[in-house]
Formats: sequence, C-alpha cells, structure tokens
Amino acid sequence: MRSTPVRFGLFAVGAAVVALLPLFVSEFRAFELARVGIYVIALLGLSVLTGYAGQISLGHGAFMAVGAYTTAILTTRYGIRDLWTIPLAGLLTGLVGFLFGFPALRLVGAYLALATFALAVAVPSLAKYGRIEEYTGGGGGLLLNLPATPFGLPLSASDWLYYLCWGLAGLLFVAAWLLVRGRIGRALRAIRENELAAVSSGISLPAFKTFAFGVSAFYGGVAGSLYAITINYVNPDTFPVGLSILLLTGVVVGGLGSLAGVVFGALFIQYLPLYASDLLDWPLSRLGLKIDTSAPGAPAVVYGLILLAVLLLGSSGAAGSLARGTRALTNSLARRP
Amino acid sequence: MRRKLIPLAAVVAAAVLVTIPGAFAGSARREAPGVTARSVTIGGTFPISGPASLYAPIAKGMQVYFSYINARRGPDRKRGVYGRQIVFKIYDDQYNPAQTVQLTRRLVEQDKVFALVGGLGTEPQTPVRPYLNQQKVPQLYVSTGATTWGADRKQYPWTIGWQPDYQSEGRAYGDFIRRTDPSAKVAVLFQNDDYGKDYLAGFKPAVGAGRIVAEVGYEVTAPSVTSQVAQLKASGADSFFVVGTPRGTIQALVTAYRLGWRPKLYVNSVSATDAFLTQATAAAGSREAVNGVVTTAYLKDPASPKYANDKTVATYKRLLAKYAPGADPNNGLYFYGMAKADTFVQTLYRAGRNPTRESLLNAAVNLKLKSPWLIPGTTIESSAKSPFPISTVKLTRYTNGAFTEFGGIIKTR
Repeated sequence: MRSTPVRFGLFAVGAAVVALLPLFVSEFRAFELARVGIYVIALLGLSVLTGYAGQISLGHGAFMAVGAYTTAILTTRYGIRDLWTIPLAGLLTGLVGFLFGFPALRLVGAYLALATFALAVAVPSLAKYGRIEEYTGGGGGLLLNLPATPFGLPLSASDWLYYLCWGLAGLLFVAAWLLVRGRIGRALRAIRENELAAVSSGISLPAFKTFAFGVSAFYGGVAGSLYAITINYVNPDTFPVGLSILLLTGVVVGGLGSLAGVVFGALFIQYLPLYASDLLDWPLSRLGLKIDTSAPGAPAVVYGLILLAVLLLGSSGAAGSLARGTRALTNSLARRP
Repeated sequence: MRRKLIPLAAVVAAAVLVTIPGAFAGSARREAPGVTARSVTIGGTFPISGPASLYAPIAKGMQVYFSYINARRGPDRKRGVYGRQIVFKIYDDQYNPAQTVQLTRRLVEQDKVFALVGGLGTEPQTPVRPYLNQQKVPQLYVSTGATTWGADRKQYPWTIGWQPDYQSEGRAYGDFIRRTDPSAKVAVLFQNDDYGKDYLAGFKPAVGAGRIVAEVGYEVTAPSVTSQVAQLKASGADSFFVVGTPRGTIQALVTAYRLGWRPKLYVNSVSATDAFLTQATAAAGSREAVNGVVTTAYLKDPASPKYANDKTVATYKRLLAKYAPGADPNNGLYFYGMAKADTFVQTLYRAGRNPTRESLLNAAVNLKLKSPWLIPGTTIESSAKSPFPISTVKLTRYTNGAFTEFGGIIKTR
C-alpha cells in the first residue's frame, strides 16, 4: 500500500515547488508564505504530540510565545544575531515542554486539553508580571530590528524570510518523519490507541509522553522564534488564545496523524481567516445579495462555516484525500507492464 | 526591488494612458503609488472584531466621512479631492500586532496605498512604524495618544499622531490642581503599563510631587481594583486622579463611592466619555459616583446640549444617519473618526493637485487648521519642531449626566 518511491517523488516535487516559488510571486506573497512556513513548523510539532501520541494540546500558542520571547530578549537585550537565537529558542521551549509533560502525565483527554488551554491563557500574561516585565517589556512589548537579508545574500528581505522559514520547515519535516517512522513513532501510536495495551507491551508512558511534549514544544519554540523575527515585535497581544485554537484547527484540517497534511493545514489557517470575507463576497454578489461581509463578526462566521464544510467533506483531513490520491497513483503505476 | 518596479511602472504607465485623454497630458505625468487621475487609495488597520472592537466606530466614522467627500462637490466644484475619489481600505487586525504587520504590508505592497491613515492602537502601530519609515510611506494621524508618535519624529519622520498626547493631557490636570487647589492632597490610581506611566510622566511634575500623598498601580488584567482604592482612601487624600482604560476606571469610581469616599475626581479623557460614566452611574446606582468628574476635551461633544444647534454636529448626525444607519450618534468615537477624516481631507488638499508621498507628509507636519470639529478656540497645528497636531484642550466637568466646559483654552505644548 505505502509506496516509498512515490512519497519521495512527491516530497521532491513539493520541495522543488517551494524552492522556486519566490521567482514567480511578489515580495508580499513571499512574506505571507513565510508565515505559512512558520505554521508548518508549529503544526509539525503539534502533529507529533496530538496526531501521533494522541495528546490534545490547546496550548501551542504558549510554546510559540516562549520561543518568540527568547529570541526577542536575546536580540534586543544582548545584541545576539536573530539567526543564532532560533536553535536556542527551540531548545529552551523544548525544555519547558518536557517539564510540562510531567504534570500532564496525570491528565487525559478533555482534562489535558483544559490544562494546556490554561497554558495558552496564562503564559502570554506572565510577560506583564512583576520582575519578568523588565525583560519582556510588559504590555508594551519588545521591538526587534526589521528583518534584513544577512551575509550579503542576493535576496530581498521577504524572500530571505521565505527561504529561512521554509528551509527550516523542510529540515524539521524530515526530522519529524525520521522520528515517527520507526520505533518511537510506533510507540507513540500505541499510546494513542490504547495506553494500557502500550504499557503492557513494555512502552514507558512517562518517557514517551514527556518526550513527545518536549519535541512538540521544540518545534513550537522554533516557530515562535521565526514569528518574532518576521513581525519584528512581540507583546502579549501577539499570542492570543485564538492562536492556539487556530493551530489545533490546522492539524485537524491537515489530517491527524499525517505529516504531509500539515502543509495544507498551514495554508488553511494562514489564508482562510484573511480572505474569508472576500471568499463570501464573490458568490453573494453573483446571487445579487447585498450582505456586508466586512461587518464585525461576518468574517468569523464565514470562517466557521467553511471550517465545518471542510471537516464534514474530508473527515480524515487533507492528508486523507492526499493518501487516496497517492494510493490511486501507486496502483496505476503498479499496473503498468 | 527592481523585479517589482518594472511591472509597477508598466501598470502606472498603462493607467496614465488609459485614464487621461490626449497624449499631451499623459506625457510628463508621474503619479505617486495609490494616486490616479480619479482616485486616491489609502488604508488603515483597526480592531473591527476581537477584544478591542469597541474602537471599531472610529474606522466607520472615517469611512462615512470619505463617502460624503466623494459624493459632495468641493471648493473646486469637483467631487472628492481635486476630482479624485478617496478609496479607504480597512483591515481588521483584532488588535494583534502580528496581524497588523501582515495587513500593513498587504496595504503597502499589494493594494499599493498612497498612505496609511488613522491606524489604531499603540502596540499594533509600533512594529509597523519602522517598516513604513523604511518604505517612506506616510503613517498619518495614528489613533493613539502615546507621546512617542510626536516625540520620536527625528527617528521616524514619516509618522505623525493626531490627538493630544497623554503626557500633555496629564500635565493639564496637574497644572489645574496646582493653580486652583494648592493645598490638595492627591491620590493617584494608574494602569500599570506604558499607557498609564505616559500620563504620570506629564502629571507628576506639573502637580508638584509634594501634593501626591498616595500612588498605586493596577494591572489591566486584574479583575478588581478594590484593594487599591481602599488603600488610596486610607491615605486621607481629598482628590482622586484615575488613569486607566474604561473597565478599571468604572470599577474605581464605583468602589470609591461604595466605600463612602467623596474626593474631587479627575479622570483621563479616554475613560471619561458620556457612555462610560453612564455605565459607572448605573453600576453604583447613584449619580454621586461620577458627579464632578473633571476631564479634558478637544472635540465637540455630540451628546452635549451646548452643541445641539452646532452646524458641524448637525452635519455629523445627518451623515451618520445617511451612511451608517443605526449607529448611535452619541458615541463620540464616530465623531472622532469623522473629525480625523476631515483633517486628512484638508491635508490632502494642501498636498497639491498632484500629490506625492513627500508633499502629503510635508502638509501633515506643517498644518494650520481651524477645524469646525474641535471646541471653538482650539486649533490643529503641527510643525517639525512640535509635531503634535492637536495640543490644545479644554477642561470639562461632568454633572448630572452632561459635560460642561469651563476655564480657558489650555496650550499643552
């Protein structure tokens, strides 16, 4: 069923498209697509945790916030080049996620979802608290330098951000794939399907769950770091609770338990909220209906409706549809003499 | 950059050829981004939804006024400004700076706007300021009173604010107390962030530090300010200065009333609007909780009987009823939006028949306007030395559900 050459082929085509795309799109699109790359990274991490290990996280915005603040503080306070802060932000956030994994061990299902949700609510506000504020700038936030192309590379700033985000996304995609395809991935899936059965076959729940939280937070931290670099600013408003929900939406739309699906999930959460009202404008004006789609709340309603439609039509997400397509392609290749 | 200039130049050239009949007119004209013979496209980001959406009427007010300008005939007998329709693109950033950044880039790089006008919020506008200055796109009349918009003009010459800055407003209260009530014992409750501290930076030196007997901060996220108000009451102060955003301020006024504390009240203008003070009255169950509140004003108050027969207020109500039916004319934020839109229209006229981004900016930092939207006697004036367009205010007192201006015009800068 699972044909590795076809998957490699698809990955190679995808990588080529990503590499060449900036030649054909405007700088503004490159900037927008850089954020899609950031979402891909965050969703990869969430996919490992929620899709593979079955641990629901409604708090990934908090991990992004930790990564973003790490980069912001290191660049503005200590003058470290933003590029070098990315791995540090990832590692620090990974450590935070790993530690959060311990209390999370005691929680399952909806309880875990709520605990992580609390993280999403609390962490950004921590930036305004007492002594921490001296580092984070409180509500006023921290202003970073405008993103600029380093090392004299012949790229515009937007194209540089695009390649930076998508380069790391590609790297981390391969890393996640290597992680979940083997023994660890099997263990995580076993935990997702039945914890009791997993334990009785010798899988250590504490080890694998905290590991999954750590890896997932590492990805979130890297994404947050890139987020801070591209918007050249962080403050608590930058990480609203809605961001965490958006990320979970992305993983579900992309397809739980699929790494390739996160690209679709990332495109979905970047573009649908931005263009929801435009999307509705077109059919409405065709039907001759005069409804103000820019009215307060209207885009949110459109977004909700489209999200519902997507979830109903493709119950296993974009990845499900992709898998069906891949299977058809593999079968037709196999039929050839 | 070069890659984008070629198609851009082609589009501009094509637009010029198509829109201007006769080869002569088309030969030497080079129009600025967002400007054609028939339109000027500008844009701004506002919290239309989300936690700060109570400010959305500002964008609506601006939109209404531009619709009116586009429909009426101006002093040159043409509709719009010099025959150009104003296209105002509004995007909802939900007060999230991450959204503001990408939407502002969308306005500049994709929608190719001429300038950004009225962008709302100190935090959302902060990260786009370096970008707009790097791109040399005017960031005009931002909807925030933080002092930095005028004070940091050297570093960010393409940016300018509009309303009186918070430091100046704080200074106005301080001066007033020092002059009229030299033996005052003042208690201060402030929102513990850049916004609250900005006010205090003006208030404290003006009132004289000796008059402040107690000073307590509160977090904007705190559910209650009861303990802070109790602490301030215990200081024995006879004057109470509240600097906050509406929710905390309403709580503070109600709590002081419930604790039986009746000091002289001073409230910063952001929270001392008719709507918020009415809410405080309702919550306390008595007008006593807000009677005598002193604040500052610079715009005519559409809810005040004083301006019931004012021509501009009448125009305002007519336009709102026509272009935004259902909108509450007593909500001063619509008025604020229209007044700001009018300042932009006047600026655009002053930028000349063929405006460029440079000429627009130049007009914005060299304004001298007698705006009919402002309290009589106050003016809109800016210069490179003092880039604070509105820096004159008047004190006003809230009694039995209405504001009454008193005292002379105060020049805050």
